Amino acid sequence: MAYFRITLMRSGIGMPLKVQGVLKALGLRKRMTTVYYPVTPDVAGQIMRIKELVDVKEVDRPLTKQQQREQRRPEKGYHVEKRGSEQTSNYEGL
Amino acid sequence: MALVARTLRRSFLETRSILPPTFLLPFRANITTVAHSNETGNLTELPIQASQSIPIVKDIQENAIPISQTPKLPHPPRPTTQNKNAPPSPLTPSIRHLLPLLHTQPSHYLTIHLHGHPYLITKGDTVRLPFLMPNVKPGDVLRLDRATHIGSRDYTLKAPEAIKGTRDNVKKILYLDERLFVCRATVVGIESEPMRVMEKTKRRQRHVKHVYSKHKFTILKISEVEVRSLEEYEALLEPHER
Repeated sequence: MAYFRITLMRSGIGMPLKVQGVLKALGLRKRMTTVYYPVTPDVAGQIMRIKELVDVKEVDRPLTKQQQREQRRPEKGYHVEKRGSEQTSNYEGL
Repeated sequence: MALVARTLRRSFLETRSILPPTFLLPFRANITTVAHSNETGNLTELPIQASQSIPIVKDIQENAIPISQTPKLPHPPRPTTQNKNAPPSPLTPSIRHLLPLLHTQPSHYLTIHLHGHPYLITKGDTVRLPFLMPNVKPGDVLRLDRATHIGSRDYTLKAPEAIKGTRDNVKKILYLDERLFVCRATVVGIESEPMRVMEKTKRRQRHVKHVYSKHKFTILKISEVEVRSLEEYEALLEPHER
């Protein structure tokens, strides 16, 4: 099933109340928020009302907010190789 | 008018006297870089040749090498046969040429990345991280396995440039192969800063709210920085290539 990925690129401040209402209905609260909706005629109509403000792309699957964050997260860059407590226990054994 | 001309001439002469001719100026960009990328399609050999005893400080840029130079170079032994579907071998010809040179020079530095932030380190450095590392205690040994530069006095092995993020793809930092080097750090302790007090005020109010904060930072000591030699690296690669 296809989904619309809608990202608010320009703020709705100063727009007519109807446009701001559409943004609110879609859950676009501030710039650069991304929401996913299934491809249906009603969502397409909503996008048409705010087409100057948003970036739209059709994607295969929606991403949750956690997944989006996880994509952006850089790699940790380390792992614990040896615990300090293990070493001390070895010394105690000696 | 004459005055202007004289000042002009003087200023001209002064600049002449201050700066030597451009070809004598130190060329800072020279401090050397052995640029390489993971693309195997880019098979230009690097122009380190002739009198290899003295490592020549040269700014090496793969794309800038004129093709006419390449036939002079001895062709490196090609990596073992690869399937076309297999991922490209990390052992590029430039690594094959220059890793031994990098390896033989003593004392290396690395640019390691922790949570995407770079830290330039050598052995024995103490690093005060700008955060409190979770789930570690003093005495723990960490293995740092993401680096973008391995360098010695004359050579630097650089990872390819990071891929800039777009609307569809997030930024991707390309790191060096983690089998090229060994970097270990010991957690030495936790440092804390002096208590900070921030005064919060509202207009036309006498009341001042004080907000206190005191952050903690993990301190690492870099206990080991080792660059693997070409033989060791090949041995590590071999089981994956077959």
